[in-house]
Amino acid sequence: MLQDYHQEAADWRKTIRSNTHKTWFVITAFISIYVVTGLLIDIMRVLSMYPEASVSLVLKAFLKGMIVPWATLILGGIAIISWVITLAFSDKIMLLGTEYYEITETSARTFKEKQLYHVVEEMKIAAGLHFMPKVFVIDANYMNAFASGYSERSAMVAITKGLMEKLDRAELKAVMAHELSHIRHLDIKLTLTVALLGNILLLVVDMFFYSALFGRDGRREDNRFLAVIMLLRYLLPVVTVLLSLFLSRTREYMADAGSVELMRDNEPLARALIKISADHTEHAEEYEKAYQETPHEEVRQAAYLFDPSEVLPLRSLTNAFRTHPALSDRLKAIGFSKKQ
Amino acid sequence: MRTFFFFILAIIFIIFAVVIGVYNTLIRMIEAINNNKKQIDIQLDRRFKVFESLIEAVKKYMDYEKTTLKEVVALRNQAQAAKATGDEKARMVAEEGISKIAAGLSVVFEAYPDLKANQNVVALQEEIVNTENRLAYAKQAYNDSVERYMAKKKSFFEAIIVNLFRDSLDKQFDYWGLSEATAASHENYTVKF
Repeated sequence: MLQDYHQEAADWRKTIRSNTHKTWFVITAFISIYVVTGLLIDIMRVLSMYPEASVSLVLKAFLKGMIVPWATLILGGIAIISWVITLAFSDKIMLLGTEYYEITETSARTFKEKQLYHVVEEMKIAAGLHFMPKVFVIDANYMNAFASGYSERSAMVAITKGLMEKLDRAELKAVMAHELSHIRHLDIKLTLTVALLGNILLLVVDMFFYSALFGRDGRREDNRFLAVIMLLRYLLPVVTVLLSLFLSRTREYMADAGSVELMRDNEPLARALIKISADHTEHAEEYEKAYQETPHEEVRQAAYLFDPSEVLPLRSLTNAFRTHPALSDRLKAIGFSKKQ
Repeated sequence: MRTFFFFILAIIFIIFAVVIGVYNTLIRMIEAINNNKKQIDIQLDRRFKVFESLIEAVKKYMDYEKTTLKEVVALRNQAQAAKATGDEKARMVAEEGISKIAAGLSVVFEAYPDLKANQNVVALQEEIVNTENRLAYAKQAYNDSVERYMAKKKSFFEAIIVNLFRDSLDKQFDYWGLSEATAASHENYTVKF
């Protein structure tokens, strides 16, 4: 209940600023990992051609442009191509496995649907977006919502029927403001990119690991590299997952702050979050079944407004690592701290 | 000597790139403000048309004086005249008057329980709330874009570049707001039953 919390004004400007810094940190880290991995492979490639050369000599040769670091370039190329393909299909991917229908100004049948479309319109104006995002309703009883689309033009917001019907106008608007903030902050693009880069990286390191393991021609030099690759193979998955989860949590805080920015009011969002959480606890069994029976639920988990694994014991790879900050932390960030 | 020359060249290049970047960003922000200001006009225009049709519809449900429509039209004309002469203050006052009529309509709805229960009226209320909110958020978006531009313009380094291109980069925009007197009277306003 909202009465259990102290309310104060939320400094959304500060939240957005600090989380923007964190995002840059994650991006820089990812690019560095990419370059280092690519260069490592290149160094090994060159060393296998010129066994007598030293590592520093090879590095100097790269810097002076005497040798082209092909592996690094190819790695970057693969990343860019798969990035473009993934982003082009991202909105279709996100709705995978759900029953959904689109709402427009004219096709809204019930009062609630019309109201939903109206609040999205209002928030679109407040956010200064140039395009009206598509609005989808997912035919499900659990309360959740998410946004998708790789650009403003192809943006969409989706909301479950349960959420649409159980929230009042202000709460609905706060939720939609959260989703539009994701669109405005280009979060979908960002998290998809990071997930994709992480996967490609792991694939490459894996390939490299096996080729080094079985393709050795008995030179002593290789042992040193094999050790590095072994280390990379077990360290990189953990690092990339931790980085992307950190990024995901960061962007959630930013979207919450963005919701407060657009509404100029932090109470409706807090009310909506508490309501959704309480509703999930109340209908835990029913919702758990519903979530599990929906195919491809994992593609949406990070994008959801409310992480169902916060309340439900859902089976998920990332269950141990949270994609969302805990509810109490999110409420605290928008100015609601629990009374002792 | 050659490295030194390249070093200087690189620095000049970077400075040029930064100046161009800042210049383009500020121009984009100025145009965003201009667009957002027109967005307010669009919403005001929409509100006028929506209310006109709403009042027509509402008249079927209650004996609502035709004067309301006349009032809206009069205020609208005032607003338009003020806009033509560029008198922002007078315009704000007139637009506030229309907002007050909208609030009055809501109170009338509250006073008629039968009316409130009517599905059509619920839908009408939603329409009014939506229209007023759109306008409010358009104003908010305008003020936000003014804030972003002003902060950028006055920041260190950007301020130097603005000084170099005063004509195209140094614009003055007023935040959309109420006059002191209107704000004071609105602050004292309470709903009377």
